[in-house]
Amino acid sequence: MQFAPTVLTPAEEALRAEVREFLAAELPAGHRPALGFAGRHDPEFSRTLAERGWVGMAIPPRYGGHGRSAVDRFLVAEELLAAGAPIGAHFVADRQTAPALLHFGTEEQRQRFLPGIAAGEVYFSLGMSEPDSGSDLASVRTRATRVEGGWTVTGTKVWTSEAHRNHFFAVLCRTSPVEEGRKHAGLSQLIVDLSAPGVRISPIPYLDGSHHFNEVALEDVFVPDDMVLGELGSGWQQVTSELAYERSGPDRWLSTFPVLREWLRERGAAVSGEEAVVLGRLAARFRAIRQLSLSVARALDGGSAPVVEAALVKDVGTRFEQDLVEALREAAETELDQGSRSLFPSLLAEAVLTSPSYTLRGGTTEILRSVAAKGLAA
Amino acid sequence: MSDDRTVLTEVATGLFRDLCTPGDVVAAEATGWSERLWSALTESGFPLVSVPEEAGGSGGDVADACALLTVAGRFAAPAPLAETGLLGGWALAAAGLELPEGPLSVAVGAPGDAVELAGRRFSARLSRVPWGGRSDRVVALAGSGGQRFVVSAPTAAATVTNGRNLAAEPRDTLVWDDVGLPDDAFAPAPPGVDGAALRLRGALARAALIAGALARVAELTVRYTGERQQFGRPVARFQAVQAHLVTIAEEAELAGLAVSVAALNARPDPSFLDVAAAKAAAGEAATIAARASHQAHGAIGMTKEYELGQLSRRLWSWRDEFGSERYWSRELGHRLAAAGADALWPSISTGLVSEPASSPEGSFA
Ligand SMILES: Cc1cc2nc3c(=O)[nH]c(=O)nc-3n(C[C@H](O)[C@H](O)[C@H](O)COP(=O)(O)OP(=O)(O)OC[C@H]3O[C@@H](n4cnc5c(N)ncnc54)[C@H](O)[C@@H]3O)c2cc1C
Repeated sequence: MQFAPTVLTPAEEALRAEVREFLAAELPAGHRPALGFAGRHDPEFSRTLAERGWVGMAIPPRYGGHGRSAVDRFLVAEELLAAGAPIGAHFVADRQTAPALLHFGTEEQRQRFLPGIAAGEVYFSLGMSEPDSGSDLASVRTRATRVEGGWTVTGTKVWTSEAHRNHFFAVLCRTSPVEEGRKHAGLSQLIVDLSAPGVRISPIPYLDGSHHFNEVALEDVFVPDDMVLGELGSGWQQVTSELAYERSGPDRWLSTFPVLREWLRERGAAVSGEEAVVLGRLAARFRAIRQLSLSVARALDGGSAPVVEAALVKDVGTRFEQDLVEALREAAETELDQGSRSLFPSLLAEAVLTSPSYTLRGGTTEILRSVAAKGLAA
Repeated sequence: MSDDRTVLTEVATGLFRDLCTPGDVVAAEATGWSERLWSALTESGFPLVSVPEEAGGSGGDVADACALLTVAGRFAAPAPLAETGLLGGWALAAAGLELPEGPLSVAVGAPGDAVELAGRRFSARLSRVPWGGRSDRVVALAGSGGQRFVVSAPTAAATVTNGRNLAAEPRDTLVWDDVGLPDDAFAPAPPGVDGAALRLRGALARAALIAGALARVAELTVRYTGERQQFGRPVARFQAVQAHLVTIAEEAELAGLAVSVAALNARPDPSFLDVAAAKAAAGEAATIAARASHQAHGAIGMTKEYELGQLSRRLWSWRDEFGSERYWSRELGHRLAAAGADALWPSISTGLVSEPASSPEGSFA
């Protein structure tokens, strides 16, 4: 295990101060904070952020990005999430698609997509889950068939977050039939234009009543050869590869922080002893989890691959996001009301409705724990 | 970790490995004491790490002392290491009082305690004093004539009633009934040396012990579940058991890092925010990890000889000593509430505040 205490450099402190100042101006007190990275889709905000250099931070300058460290990205992300900034438009492309393109994409693909991602203008969804394939991703049935100049793809993806607003998605599909005993072979990732002919996007109403995810039906959708992401047949390795440890960032433990802050704002300084216990307990754990997560970012910059550490952080962090909601509900002793005109009660209601997703999205707690346990035994 | 601290940790680990085996720990339970261990520790200067050399200590800083305590926690060491240096030694040195030869203890005020100093007449009732009856002196704070004093009360002059915590570590009650103190036994307390500061150091020390014990609990549980076979395979192959292993690792790492950061930030004194958060987090971690590791061990964990019980009984005691999770959460919560909603995130996102000094002035050796 390599969780080392991490101090911020003066340059990192300065970056953080700059982001704080920006957010104080952009998101005035009283704005309704988004809860987590999927909280709100706001292209204008994404572009403004990009102008400041805070999108595409992992992307090298030659592709329009900024070549910043994992710690710099961590610091910007945690400020945005703590403030409840509306980062839903660009976040997935920035966190997940851009690194995949950098690692596995062709030069042409990088040049085509990365500048747009870094500008906060090109948005991606993830095309992995299907009706019969969730945790057991290798069982996906969407298949691509060879045709002149490319592939035609047919199948159905589900739970596709923001497909109705985003531009592309990376589709995990079969490019060759399952061979006996080798179900991880023959899978590939194809970049599919969500506006292409044959793509049908239908909403799946989300638990809180919003339009968040979708069913995306693909019917003989043509995908040119140059839109195959990475190597043909390496889709499985790509989606489960070292990118996995990029996923233990602040988005895995800060989703519900704004609820705590707004509760405190409502309560004011005169909290009861019991309320102080709740606040102190949550703050103590926040500090501890943040330090773990930051130390993973630092380790990444040092060139190591802290796979187990990242899984532990995601597990402990996402469960904490949920615990926080329940602790505040108990402290508040109020009936949940999404339509409340006061900020805290309506945020609390939103958090209760969306919190089960924290331990599901991006790989369930159970699957994550299996990954971590294998590493611990090793 | 600084090079000095790494060496300190390695040397201490070697010492405890030789003199503080699980068998030694069981054997020490009858009396709460291992003379062999204590004299070896004293010989190495370990109890007085973080106390300045000018004052008769071993030098080094709070982070060195905490690194040492983390090792002591791993080995469930039956010795008043923290009490002698980080707490008592610190207060005596700050007040310009002499350090005794033998172990020191401290009292930070349990419910019902009373301390009275009038001139040089000293009366006190102090309960749950760690290794109180074993100590040469007990350090307490007393107000007299509008001034605060550090008192180094001679244990020999007290009536001692023995008590223990769940791990049979001595937690004694000492009573001084109008005793005349010698000149070298009290001095005005300098600014910053008060009950709150002493309690904070105590909390940090217990959190460091907890972190060490948790690291060992994690190792033990991985090892045992990898060896124990049921249904024809190691129980660690069952997902339900794996979930316990993951929980323990998470809590151990979380507490360990919180303690390291609090200790490294103590320049020279621990900060309230760091310690309150670290002790609250470590206490909660102790509860969660102890439960999970006992569950994963089955009945073997319930035997007095097996190492787990030596650690879990300490975890269950240490989490309450010098303030429970609830106590520190409440203190922290009031402090954060007073600072207001917009100060909450800046406070949470304060981690390690400056680069650890590579080599503290005058190393411990
Ligand atoms: C808000 C939200 C947004 C999402 N967005 C997207 C998206 O944009 N794109 C996308 O592709 N997917 C998305 N997903 C889907 C997500 O990746 C899946 O929910 C997740 O992978 C689990 O799959 P499942 O829901 O089918 O559950 P299942 O795999 O059916 O699991 C059901 C239960 O069984 C457990 N389980 C399954 N297998 C095992 C095992 N081997 N060991 C132990 N337990 C097991 C699971 O942990 C879970 O508790 C989203 C999900 C949510 C909640």
